[in-house]
Amino acid sequence: MTEWQAASLVALGAVVFLDQWPAVQSMVSRPIVVGPAVGWILGAPADGVLWGASFETMVLAIQPVGAARYPDAALAGLLGTTAAIVGMDSEIYPAAWAVAVAGGAGWAGEVLGRLQRRWNARTAAAVRARVAGGSLAAPARGIAVALSRGAALGALQAAGGLVIVIAGTRLLAGSPWTGRLDAHGLRIAAAAMAGVAGARALGIGRKRLASLALGAATGVALVALGVAQ
Amino acid sequence: MKHERGLSGRLRRERRAVALRSTLIQAVWNYDSLQGIGFGWALLPGLERIRPDRGERAERLLAHLGTFNANPYLAPIAMGVALRVEEEIARGAAGAERRLARLLHALRGSLGAIGDELFWSACRPALGLAAAVAALATGSIWPAIAYVVGWNAIAQGVRLAGVRAGFASGAAVVRVLQDPFWAKAARLARAAGMFAAGAGLGMGAGLAVLGGGGLAGGAIFLGLIGLLWLAGTQIGARGPALSPALAFLAVAAILGAIFHLSRGALP
Repeated sequence: MTEWQAASLVALGAVVFLDQWPAVQSMVSRPIVVGPAVGWILGAPADGVLWGASFETMVLAIQPVGAARYPDAALAGLLGTTAAIVGMDSEIYPAAWAVAVAGGAGWAGEVLGRLQRRWNARTAAAVRARVAGGSLAAPARGIAVALSRGAALGALQAAGGLVIVIAGTRLLAGSPWTGRLDAHGLRIAAAAMAGVAGARALGIGRKRLASLALGAATGVALVALGVAQ
Repeated sequence: MKHERGLSGRLRRERRAVALRSTLIQAVWNYDSLQGIGFGWALLPGLERIRPDRGERAERLLAHLGTFNANPYLAPIAMGVALRVEEEIARGAAGAERRLARLLHALRGSLGAIGDELFWSACRPALGLAAAVAALATGSIWPAIAYVVGWNAIAQGVRLAGVRAGFASGAAVVRVLQDPFWAKAARLARAAGMFAAGAGLGMGAGLAVLGGGGLAGGAIFLGLIGLLWLAGTQIGARGPALSPALAFLAVAAILGAIFHLSRGALP
């Protein structure tokens, strides 16, 4: 990995941290988008698309409702895809290693997200005190402080994760315990995950069974017609 | 929008600014006031127009920096309502201040429930599934681009329309929330998502059987589905948020082991 690539991934970490909940929530932080971006940065766009889609099916059921605690899907997608591409050997992915990295990154991101929310409480109290004193610019300043801190946290956790990914990949090189898997096997596993996660997240009702059956027929037809290979 | 007749020109520029600022409603999200700071800051362009006096404006701004939480895409509806009632407060309408506090308190729950059901439980899984299955099938970046464009057309469109609808309705905002549109949209998204889930299953089965694995490939695929389903419903004290990751890890490890033992002869 070149310095430029590492710097781009760290910058991407800052962007996706902000998009995940503090700003806009345009969903560019979802693994389906982050995966191809990581792939493009690392010069393996097709692998990025495949892993981004796989991680998207994995985090599909997570719902950011209220003050719920949930894994950081953006960082999981970013570092998981990086681990899969960096550790790729003769078009074989270290699949279990990549998923383990994603799981760890999701947990670490959740912890940092909680920390950010706690620091935000102090910022919010300071903003209210200044507005009570007559300052109308205090909320804008508070928001700028919170967003800058969030971007720094996102970049920091991406940088820390990259160090772990690179070190772990070197350590595990050649090991059969990295869950070696080719693109075909990954596609099958991710397609199975999409079906199960979708049924779990959306709920199977009697009316939706028809949609499921119609979709299944379409999926088989896509393979039979050679659209999906 | 029939409620908006006669209101369309009022605070038009400010309403647009409020909608734009609503994208940062969660910037200072915290466990005490939740979205409060972002909510108050977003209202500032409207308050500037309604309250030219700085002291009065700061007083009203402070009133909006308290606790507020709703689905981020539907929160602009509450912002529109707040602007409308702020006008009444500025005109000196009796009890308007208390009415606004009660309204915002009631809206927190309703906008959270309706928005979470529509956006987090229905639209996002449905769009995510469709994009993921299309990306797995084609290996192209276009499904990801379509996902972002589609999501933002819906979500940011609702944000823009939300301020207008809230401002037009004012205290009668309950009519907007009772509109069958919300339930219909969620139902439609779930049905589309289920179609995509089915397409994933069909594609996986097709790849496993027709991709050279034959009946053995089909049996392995069925085993995968069973494992994922069981793991998804049984593993993980933290519920569905963690269990899919564990299940996927198990699948990757099992497929990897099969691959390793068979030297690449995967179905």
